[in-house]
Amino acid sequence: MNTENKITAQSNPFLPEPARIVRTYPLTDDVHFFQVRIADMEKALSFRYEIGQFAMISVLGAGEAPFSISSTPSRPGLLEFCIRRAGAVTSKLFQLKENDFVGIRGPYGNGFPVEKMQGKDILIVMGGLGAAPLRSVLLYCLDNRDLFGRIILLHGAKRPAEMLFRDELLDIKKRDDLEGYLTVDGDDTGQWTENVGVVTTLFPKLENINPENTVGVVCGPPVMYKFVLQEFLKLDIPKDQILMTLERRMKCGVGKCGHCAIDYIYTCLEGPVFSYWDVTHMRELI
Amino acid sequence: MKIVKLKKDNLFPFLEAIKGDAELWAPVKKDDAKHTFQPVDDFSQIDLDYTRTILPPRKILLPAKFNMYQASKSEFTSDFSHISKKIIFGIHPCDIHAFLTMDKFYSYEIEDPYWLEARKNLVLLGHSCWPDENCMCKSTNTHVVEEGYDLFFTDLEDTYVVWIGSSRGDDLIREKPELFEEDLTDTDIQKFIQRRENRDKAFTTEINFAAMPDLMELKYNDALWEKLGDACLACGSCTNVCPTCNCYNVEDRPVLGKDFSNIQRCWDACTLENYSGVAGGENFREKRADRLKLWYTHKLQSYISKYGKPACVGCGRCVATCPVDINVKTVAQSLDGNEVDSFWDRLSKEVTK
Amino acid sequence: MSKNNDKKLKIGIYELTGCAGDGLLILDCEMELVDIFQAADIQSFLMAKSDNIDGELDIALVEGSVSTEREIEELKDIRKRAQVVVAFGLCATHGGIQARFSEEEWQKNLKEVYGDIEMSHTKAVHSKPIDEYIDVDLYLPGCPVSKDQFLNFLVRALGGSPPEVYPNPVCVTCKYNENDCLLLKGIPCLGPLTADGCGAICPNHNVPCYGCWGPAEGANFTSEFYLLQEKGFDMEAIKKRMANYSGTKLQEFFEKFKKESQ
Repeated sequence: MNTENKITAQSNPFLPEPARIVRTYPLTDDVHFFQVRIADMEKALSFRYEIGQFAMISVLGAGEAPFSISSTPSRPGLLEFCIRRAGAVTSKLFQLKENDFVGIRGPYGNGFPVEKMQGKDILIVMGGLGAAPLRSVLLYCLDNRDLFGRIILLHGAKRPAEMLFRDELLDIKKRDDLEGYLTVDGDDTGQWTENVGVVTTLFPKLENINPENTVGVVCGPPVMYKFVLQEFLKLDIPKDQILMTLERRMKCGVGKCGHCAIDYIYTCLEGPVFSYWDVTHMRELI
Repeated sequence: MKIVKLKKDNLFPFLEAIKGDAELWAPVKKDDAKHTFQPVDDFSQIDLDYTRTILPPRKILLPAKFNMYQASKSEFTSDFSHISKKIIFGIHPCDIHAFLTMDKFYSYEIEDPYWLEARKNLVLLGHSCWPDENCMCKSTNTHVVEEGYDLFFTDLEDTYVVWIGSSRGDDLIREKPELFEEDLTDTDIQKFIQRRENRDKAFTTEINFAAMPDLMELKYNDALWEKLGDACLACGSCTNVCPTCNCYNVEDRPVLGKDFSNIQRCWDACTLENYSGVAGGENFREKRADRLKLWYTHKLQSYISKYGKPACVGCGRCVATCPVDINVKTVAQSLDGNEVDSFWDRLSKEVTK
Repeated sequence: MSKNNDKKLKIGIYELTGCAGDGLLILDCEMELVDIFQAADIQSFLMAKSDNIDGELDIALVEGSVSTEREIEELKDIRKRAQVVVAFGLCATHGGIQARFSEEEWQKNLKEVYGDIEMSHTKAVHSKPIDEYIDVDLYLPGCPVSKDQFLNFLVRALGGSPPEVYPNPVCVTCKYNENDCLLLKGIPCLGPLTADGCGAICPNHNVPCYGCWGPAEGANFTSEFYLLQEKGFDMEAIKKRMANYSGTKLQEFFEKFKKESQ
């Protein structure tokens, strides 16, 4: 027992990679957009991720937290996040400016099953901060337009000022290879030219949905799921073709700290993307 | 497997010979007759006449709080300084099984270097034990070990029968081969077998662990859980004393007067109120009953599908710890339909909500 | 570290009614004191310095309970001047021992001690925690607060972050310290009900926790109450023990409990 002790851990999966904030600006009052690049150029370009995966962002002096990646892997190099101010980490993050450092770890989670989605019509329904992970899905589908059938986007917010990526989506909506519908619960501006009503009021506008060939994707506030899922089922979309992404507290992202456990599923490894069929087996969610 | 014999008088000389600059941890008696694993220099402090320690030996590998890495503005540096050469002497079969389960857990999908590096630097010297009424390891089939140790000492009154479980174990014997005898006599073998049989008979608690996964599923909405939730003190003790609990929290602790932080990893427990809280104040498991369900799902059900055996290794620490009798023994017995006389079952039905 | 005083956090430390133990604890951080005064601009701290300024503050640490009318005014003035108000120590967070009485009992006690004497400088009021009068941003409990808690709060505040608060019960640290559970021995320990942070200092020495950090978040008072009853303690004894340090925050619970057990 006298041999010298040498720590040989080649790579430490808990160690973040230094990254710089490239751009940051408010999307709404309490949600900011962050464009981040890993400082080491080679590592920045080799950071491969799937749509629906998340990364851990650490802010010196405040801590670390998980965030969905809002950018698409089809545009490598820069990572984008859409972050709501909620706790210690995000409060400090909101104080940071362009060129400031953060730490990045990841990507983690299963992501969306892109191969299974190929050739299918993609019906994306997002509300509120649900736009954070689903913007990645939308942009990915548009960047690989030929791989998918119809692309339908339903996006809801409380008020026009609270709609995340409003201008970007109004722009994308003009494309003729996408069917886009935007809605607000109430218009307090008098300038809103799109739909008014909760997101489910958009469903009657959808025509000729072929349920067997449709993948429904939903993310939004908890109250939204119930109603959107009902609409999906009304359209006869099979339960295993309805996909959702769930948020839990996480401290490690790699299935060790235990915080994201639902029953015996670690959402950081086996999620955050689940099918509606998966979720009906997870008792704690219902 | 290679088996040798060691006279009890030769134990301390052997430990002395192999210790070198390693830290030797062994069971030591506290003033109140309970035992804990402690680093010992004076071997006379070692007390092998124990059933279970208050905390399981995983604390030796992953302390309650340690630095994972140092973070400065643009640099992150790993900190493995809490890891050093260690020997655990006197560890029982249930705790060795817990280490084997944790090895699988910490290697699953992504390797946790803090556990695995500490493990590489660890020598495990097991020791035989005798069950009390709270030992459930025969039911979990963790009362004997076939692997996972370097040496295993079985107490046969004046001598030890020593099973060599690894090549490193064999090397340790070679440090002082003159202390050992190679050949076991027929009497030794008889004694060994007799001891094993007597020990098997000494187990008084039997739990039907095979039925637990189904029962957890079938009784998920049973009124039992509300009763447990009413009684649970949410003190986290069952979790903290469990040899297969692994949950932790991470804290960013800036250092006063410096421009860096220590990123600390500290034990957490899913039975505590704050465990499932997220930024913004929402709590996914505010109810004590829900938190207990999660813990028991993990102990009685979930590891079976993933790792082939329940997370519970039957050590009985939760039984010895919980002031309101919520533990694997009483909960499993209740799930199995048995009447259990425990505080939570006597607790007034009209408790203030 | 900035040498410019303007950029440093302006901190004021104030003492209302209490033993001043929390302020004393800051002075007791001897190894860190130089760093503290270098890193922060301590504008007001009666116990430590004489040149105190009552101006705008980034952070006000308020120790003690509110026990006089003058203290109500003082507290409201601090609130106006400070961005962040921290209830510092148990008297400020929960009211402390002096707040353990109901309004009625307090009136009776006041009369018994002072009779009908008119107070000349200020009028005494029923002792209460500071959040009965002002909005409080952060609570640092403890009797006194611990060095670790205070320093962690300070370093995180200097970096612009709130402290990491883990409102676990004392049992957590007590178990880390491998103490044998006192409740199991029939000793009326309040560990499961009490906020951690003291390091389980009493149970470490076989003395039962008497709750001096105030109630832990989510503590199950009901179960512990019944448990102590089963161990042979009567309701009054348990109530006395539990009420000692919980100030006004548990009175509602006891009222409810009293009604049900009648």
